[in-house]
Amino acid sequence: MVLYLLIYFIIILSATISVIAKKLINSAIMLAVLSIGVSILLFIYGAVWAAVFELSVCAGLITVLFISAVSLVKNDEESLSENRVKYIVFPFILIAIIIISSIFVPEYFLELQKFSTYNTEKEKPIGEFIWIYRGVDIIGQLTLLASSVFIIKHIFFKNKNIKENGGDI
Amino acid sequence: MVTDFLSYSLIPLFSALAIPFISRKSQRITEILANVTLLSGLINVGYIIGYHIVKMDFLSFTYDAFALLMIFTIYLVGLSIVFFSTYYDIEKDVNLTSYYSLILISVSAMTSLVIARDFFTLYIFMEAISVCSFALITSSSNKNSIEAAIKYFFLTFPASALIIFGISILMLNYGGFDFDTIKLTNINFLTVISLSFIIIGFLIKGGIAPFHFWTPDVYEGSYSPISAFLAGIVTKIGGIYAIIKISQILLNTDAGFRISKLLLFTGMLSVLLGAFGAIVQKDFKRMLAYSSISQMGYIILASATFSPLGIFAAVFHLVNHATFKTVLFLNSACVEKETGTTNMDELKGLEHRMPYTSWTSIISLFSTAGLPPLSGFWSKLLIIIALWQAGNKYYAVIALVSSIITFAYFMIMQKKIFFGKLPEKLNNIKEARTPLLIPVVVISVLIIVIGVFFNRVYPLLEKI
Repeated sequence: MVLYLLIYFIIILSATISVIAKKLINSAIMLAVLSIGVSILLFIYGAVWAAVFELSVCAGLITVLFISAVSLVKNDEESLSENRVKYIVFPFILIAIIIISSIFVPEYFLELQKFSTYNTEKEKPIGEFIWIYRGVDIIGQLTLLASSVFIIKHIFFKNKNIKENGGDI
Repeated sequence: MVTDFLSYSLIPLFSALAIPFISRKSQRITEILANVTLLSGLINVGYIIGYHIVKMDFLSFTYDAFALLMIFTIYLVGLSIVFFSTYYDIEKDVNLTSYYSLILISVSAMTSLVIARDFFTLYIFMEAISVCSFALITSSSNKNSIEAAIKYFFLTFPASALIIFGISILMLNYGGFDFDTIKLTNINFLTVISLSFIIIGFLIKGGIAPFHFWTPDVYEGSYSPISAFLAGIVTKIGGIYAIIKISQILLNTDAGFRISKLLLFTGMLSVLLGAFGAIVQKDFKRMLAYSSISQMGYIILASATFSPLGIFAAVFHLVNHATFKTVLFLNSACVEKETGTTNMDELKGLEHRMPYTSWTSIISLFSTAGLPPLSGFWSKLLIIIALWQAGNKYYAVIALVSSIITFAYFMIMQKKIFFGKLPEKLNNIKEARTPLLIPVVVISVLIIVIGVFFNRVYPLLEKI
């Protein structure tokens, strides 16, 4: 139970930080932490397929995409002068959620466990699952990752030229 | 995934990844690497197919003929586009490194898609193709291309949602997405529902009527070589291929019979809408787009018979369509480059100045219309026989009549652009540069050779 609550806490904490973080890069990293937390939770409940896809696609692929995109717009970010004081309310909401969830969530988790249908696959280590059962997806993800990087390059290159030409397309 | 063919998928991918590193010193190296990668792959796969066709020895042929033919077509069109782009004088605001890398990644993803053995892998690579296409459409700096990219995004990405929804129902039903699992298990109502979602998703991706609205705008708005790439192979592999594959899985099954009616109707609608739509078009590329919709309808009609003959007719028409549509779109690119327009009302008598472009167009349009002895004739004949044998006689008649309409609109196109007296304002027009003509001439020769030696190709198709 402590483990569940810990993961749940990490998920909420990382979600909150990803919203209130001032630097986009921190926000992207926190989103990855959130995805990892969710995938561990899914794995514990025996939804191995969902866990693997959450981990590899959301935590892996999307984070890399975000970070590469953020690194491209890094210069603009420094001139950002947004007032973020109002977001200070989020930690308080977070504390309230933790208190409430510590009362209700444990029962909810036990209830959820009844729906677990892939308990047989639970025994397999996650590494084996990724490499043996979904090995092909690694090539797929490599393809998607490579295409994403080139797409960013392709579109941003054009954008740079448009800016240089005075905004005319 | 068939590991025999994995190298055809991995080599272009690694070449694409290598391009940014080696292109720093000279842009020329990028072009050479892209051409050499695809040429070597084409020679390799061409040798395997050619050896068996020339020797007429199909007993020792142990490969997956469907996948092999698709890989050959992908590499042929991919190489034509890359070679054409090398000499096309691409606009300065296009990043050449990412342009060639994206084409190579598309080729890699399409190859992986045709060798996939389960729906989820198929979906992943289909998405990779879609995102690459989206970026490639924006290559040109005019407003039309950006509009086309946005339309492509908004109309084809909801299709992905339908496909993934269908896949998740399959997962719920079988606990896996393997083609073999689905083939060997009893097909129930949920399977039909999930496959229907998947099919509708792929029909949108393939630009089949009534989901064809994005196709003409995208083909017209894209950068010319990219239009040829999209129309020639990308939308076919990213959309139509999966439908033929589903047809192959559900061969002679009850579910196939149930889905058959839906597919036959959309196929017929596509054939007719495409054909009648093409007649009224004034833009060269737009007319070719409508023609593409019509020809895709034939493939859907053939695969909707769920019979072995229908399936290999569909595969053969897919290969043929890739060849003749690539030639026609590349010719439109040459005409656009030389005259600065694709509006057919402004063009006339170009045959006097562009004879090679005109004659390769004639070969391709004869093949599209199904005139013997060109390759298109055989595929259309097989489609009509398959429809007739499956008891869909009305559809067979419609397919035959539409073939005549196809011939009519292409003759209108040929007359408007190439025949007649050359107007004075077009007197300075020259034939496109020789390297630009090489891909179209080679593919045109291939269209004739496949048509004339069809008796040698037929045993290969029977292996599908």
